[in-house]
Amino acid sequence: MADKAILFDATLCTACRGCQAACKQWNENDPYPADWGDRLDGDTPLAHNRGSYENPADLSPTTWVKMEFREYDTSGGMAWYFTRRACMHCTEAGCVSVCPSGALRHNADGFVSFDKTLCTGCGYCGEACPFEVPRYTRNIITGQSVMDKCTLCTSAGLNRLNEGLEPACVKSCPTDALVIGERDALVSEGRQRVSALQAQGYGNAYLYGEKELGGLHVMYVIPDKPEVLGLKSDPKVSGLVDAVNVMWPIGAGLGVAAILGLGLNYIVARANVNKEK
Amino acid sequence: MPEEIVKYQRSTRVLHWIHTGAFLLLFVTGLIIFIPAFGPAAAGGVTRIIHRVAAVLFVAIPVLRFIMGPSSSLSGLLKAFVWDSGDVGWLKAAPRYYFLGDEKAMPAQGEMNSGQKLWWLITVVAWVVFTITGGIMWFGKETINPGALTTMVLLHDIMMAIIIPMIFVHIYLGIVHPLMTEAWNAIWRGTVTAEYAKKHHAKWYEEVKGK
Repeated sequence: MADKAILFDATLCTACRGCQAACKQWNENDPYPADWGDRLDGDTPLAHNRGSYENPADLSPTTWVKMEFREYDTSGGMAWYFTRRACMHCTEAGCVSVCPSGALRHNADGFVSFDKTLCTGCGYCGEACPFEVPRYTRNIITGQSVMDKCTLCTSAGLNRLNEGLEPACVKSCPTDALVIGERDALVSEGRQRVSALQAQGYGNAYLYGEKELGGLHVMYVIPDKPEVLGLKSDPKVSGLVDAVNVMWPIGAGLGVAAILGLGLNYIVARANVNKEK
Repeated sequence: MPEEIVKYQRSTRVLHWIHTGAFLLLFVTGLIIFIPAFGPAAAGGVTRIIHRVAAVLFVAIPVLRFIMGPSSSLSGLLKAFVWDSGDVGWLKAAPRYYFLGDEKAMPAQGEMNSGQKLWWLITVVAWVVFTITGGIMWFGKETINPGALTTMVLLHDIMMAIIIPMIFVHIYLGIVHPLMTEAWNAIWRGTVTAEYAKKHHAKWYEEVKGK
């Protein structure tokens, strides 16, 4: 496969959050919009203590990557893990399968690209994503809504990859916790790092995304079980999404069958009703 | 001049046609999301506004009818749920009747024949399903969990898949089928001839004449 991928090594991350800043700066996603409950200075939310280093509190239409700080009580004492949260660019992408307009689709590198001009605002992508990544601007009354998420720096007019540049987050990372490359090579690299971690005593070290959802194009080297880092073990696109996707051929089939059946009825009935008379 | 009998009064016809207009807007704007090739036409979200405006009409029309006449609305509504051996008789005679025009084997029908009653039942159920699933999809977008929202989409789609063939049948029988010569006039101008009523809705004709 000529697919590319990002490898995120949670054990090299210092949570500097340069990636968050670089992503916002490159994609013109600043300033950070106010959230419910924020106090404002004009339009700008005032900083306040949420009891966590995490900032912003969540992904949003203008926050495509954020770092999470996770405290975990291990047998060897308290651990403080840093992990990244953003689009995982799945191979079996629920969002791509449900998008009615093709705004979300896989590109040649295997990433899930997003054409914002095609977004209808239906919201199905967010409902289908096992990682709950898509975020929306929305007017609940009119239904007007637009999604946004990490495009792996392939957004129209802001495409770094086409210019041979690394994604903004990768470029900013001071410890090379983030690298981009050929996916197969990064799978090997990830496996080596996991073995090294296991040799150091991290018995649950794991390469997340090697096989999940057909293979993620953002893989994580993690020092512990996925749940500890806020990831689902064995993530799946819900069967409900498959059921919705099968309704199109069913509905089309019923429609065509009805038209053909009625056409047949017309041919037969016209001949026979006239005969009766 | 052949004798004319009133089948559908003006208020019924007006509400039917407003509802039809609302349904067609819902159908088209929904189909754009449903048929993959047409999806890009929904980009930007204009069809979402049209769908919502039409949805308000679609939901309101039956409520309006109920307010205009609660007891007649209720008795009309309940007709959808009364099924007996007479309907089985219609079912047995239907293939020969609708394909070969064999009217002799068809038992006497009421104001709604069994087929029309089935369509009535489907539209009643559809109104409930579309209103609930659509309402949750519209107003629950930021509060209801993703799995439940996807379930609403699925039920909305299943109801639509049932309606698609049935709406074609409804339009076809109303306008095209060689036996249903006065069905269109009934819903457009409101009347049918006595002869048509005797042939197609004999039980109803007897009730009307008996008054």
